[in-house]
Amino acid sequence: MRTLYSTIATFALALLCGAANAQAALAQAPTPLPAPAPVGLDDRVQQAKSDVIKLNRDLLVLEEELLFPASTQVALFVSMDVGTLFELDSVQIKLDDKLVANHLYTPMEVQALHRGGVQRVFLGNLKSGTHEIVAFFTGKGPHDRDYKRGATLKFDKGSGAGYVELRIKDSLGKLQPEFDVRVWQ
Amino acid sequence: MRLSLAPLSLLIAVALAFGLPARAADSGELLRVKGMTTSTEAVSIKALHYGDSLFNFFQDKHFSALTGLMTSQHFERLTPHGDEAEVLRGGLLLSYGVHNEAGQIFASLIDKGAAPSVRDRAWFYLAKIRYQRGLNADAEAALARIEDKLPAALAEERGLLQAQLLMARNDFASAVQVLTAINTGAGKASPSPFARFNLGVALIKSADAAGGTALLDAIGRAPAATEEERSLRDRANLALGVAALQDQRADEAQRALERVRLTSLHANKALLGFGWAAAARKQPALALVSWTELVSRDASDPAVLEARIALPFAHAEAGAYGQSLKLYEHAVDAYDGEALRLDASIAAIRAGNLVDGLLQRNPSDEMGWSGQVRKLPGMPHAAHLAQVLAQHPFQEAFKNFRDLRFLEANLAQWRDTLGVYRDMLELRRAAYAARLQPTRSGAQAQAAALADLRQRRAHIATEIGDAVVVSNGFAFADARQRDLLARVESLQSAIKSPNQNPEIAALAERVRLAAGVLTWQLAQDYPARRWEHQKGLTVIDQQLDQAAQREAALAQAQREEPLRLDRYAARIDALARQLDATLPRVAALAREQQGAVQTIAEAALVDQKQRLVAYTAQARFEIAQLMDRATTASRSDDRVAR
Repeated sequence: MRTLYSTIATFALALLCGAANAQAALAQAPTPLPAPAPVGLDDRVQQAKSDVIKLNRDLLVLEEELLFPASTQVALFVSMDVGTLFELDSVQIKLDDKLVANHLYTPMEVQALHRGGVQRVFLGNLKSGTHEIVAFFTGKGPHDRDYKRGATLKFDKGSGAGYVELRIKDSLGKLQPEFDVRVWQ
Repeated sequence: MRLSLAPLSLLIAVALAFGLPARAADSGELLRVKGMTTSTEAVSIKALHYGDSLFNFFQDKHFSALTGLMTSQHFERLTPHGDEAEVLRGGLLLSYGVHNEAGQIFASLIDKGAAPSVRDRAWFYLAKIRYQRGLNADAEAALARIEDKLPAALAEERGLLQAQLLMARNDFASAVQVLTAINTGAGKASPSPFARFNLGVALIKSADAAGGTALLDAIGRAPAATEEERSLRDRANLALGVAALQDQRADEAQRALERVRLTSLHANKALLGFGWAAAARKQPALALVSWTELVSRDASDPAVLEARIALPFAHAEAGAYGQSLKLYEHAVDAYDGEALRLDASIAAIRAGNLVDGLLQRNPSDEMGWSGQVRKLPGMPHAAHLAQVLAQHPFQEAFKNFRDLRFLEANLAQWRDTLGVYRDMLELRRAAYAARLQPTRSGAQAQAAALADLRQRRAHIATEIGDAVVVSNGFAFADARQRDLLARVESLQSAIKSPNQNPEIAALAERVRLAAGVLTWQLAQDYPARRWEHQKGLTVIDQQLDQAAQREAALAQAQREEPLRLDRYAARIDALARQLDATLPRVAALAREQQGAVQTIAEAALVDQKQRLVAYTAQARFEIAQLMDRATTASRSDDRVAR
């Protein structure tokens, strides 16, 4: 029976050691471990990923040049500066009285805006000249009240790409949110 | 046998420590990578397109963020965030396992002399890549180049990485210093439990076993607010327990192991170890409690399998040989059944059910971090795979496989899209051809009209020139004045012949006066009218020039549009060729990677089978021994009776 005890104890310890190492491996995302795949596969996978990512870049460049050439391109962005006085639910944008964007925000998108992300909410084409943009923001304002506000801007579209930023910011003086429309040159 | 294992105890503890380079959870990994830009604080954006990439990045849409970022880099619209964008690109590539290119990006940022904060992050990530590639000396050199501009989110990770590198070259005393600094660093509200854990291990390895054990013991007793911390506490207790068991300090082992939660990931191992500690202390009843609980758990767990023969061992130790024999026989049956189930699982893996099931149960929109496998596949006896699925090599291999599948789908989608663009281009070409003839006809008519206008302009210019030479203003008379001049001239003709009539003479005098007034007015108006006419001529010239420019632009557009369409077509064709070449390559790699994933899983199951074979042999041996004992005892009884 002593033999069994010793043998099983050996098993047990080996099992415990192995298990401990396995668990350690689980936790260590970026630690040097033996390559799981056959030699060379990792490098080939790396190269393929890199190639596909570059190919995607080239395809996106082609797409933009083909569909939205710089001479007519216009992009509308939504950003948030602080934004503690307004809980954004949705935005609706009209360009020359035509609805071009109607977006409902997920909590993750709102969080991304709070962290400094800028959402490209519309990408399209416009001819040179004067245009009008009207944006409606809906959400919760101070004291958790439903809030809907509009912002308007007339802007001149030149021969280059036009970028318009719709910014939600806090007016600490008025304790109200403010909605700013700004053209980037 | 157990004595000979004693020196391994420290190694086990160290092995556990090496498993904790930083926060263990993948969410922690995410946060760290977000430290490439900011942690959770808002970024100040000075280029809208950089903000757009961050918007995707913050939502874990890393593929969109990366490709969007690279597109914006192509159009050069990320200024002044160029270097930040490169750090972000490098980090995203790193997360996709594209280490080589990520390394080149960070090295290039350093070479070009980026801002200190960017440079520090680049050195840090370069160190990390080198460490992952096993280039420890180079990794240490990179860490040494970091100054003091590393974001707080990365500073601790830098210390942990440095400590790991030091421990890897057995410089445990320095590792202790680094980890102590992390734990007592200025401004730290509370020391990181991971850093404390690693410090405990480093202390043990630096010959301060008592200090290290005390620290691990403190971690093992500390209250834990989060699941991550509770899991770490369990791990510390398991490490302490195993180490004590190997050092034949069974009582200490029991104390540590009984602190492991029964619902913990480590519970099965702790129950097994606790049983052995109790057995060593001649407490078979306690061992029975522990192992009886363990055998009721999932039979695919190796600890549970071992408990099946440990349990009859405890019964035998307690003198219950009959019960022991019965349990050994049950164990053999259970192992046989388990071996059959393992065979079924291996067959399912070979049939591709594993990866299909995993993809189905663990969907992911994009490639990268969020692709952790958390749910077992929907296949028979999937629990066998729980252990292997939790291991890093399998996770990495499966992540690569899923990335490749994502890329395959992405390329297939682009192939369809390119087909649409090709059709669109053809439509544009047809629309252009349809408009070309009317446009050309219109252009010819406009050219003729323009030539006529030029002639008329030349005639007017001559008239103005003549009027300027005469300088009397008659040429610039308006309609009323011209009418008056005509009337004056008519009257003058009528009264030209000498006439003695006094009324006629008075009339002639009035006509002379009117003619004089008219001449005077025309002379007065002459400078202004000359200027106006010359100005009008300039306007005509400008408008004629504009018309000529439009005519030239139209002609140029007629020449260039077909070329532009041809260029697009050529680009689409070139990209389509690249797609056609890349897609099968990615598909083949995905199949190869699937094979690698299956090999890892199968190898783990084969290991389990081998363990079963050993357990079965051991159980059969013990059954034979118990039978022998019973036979011998029976003969002795017979002899005594005779």
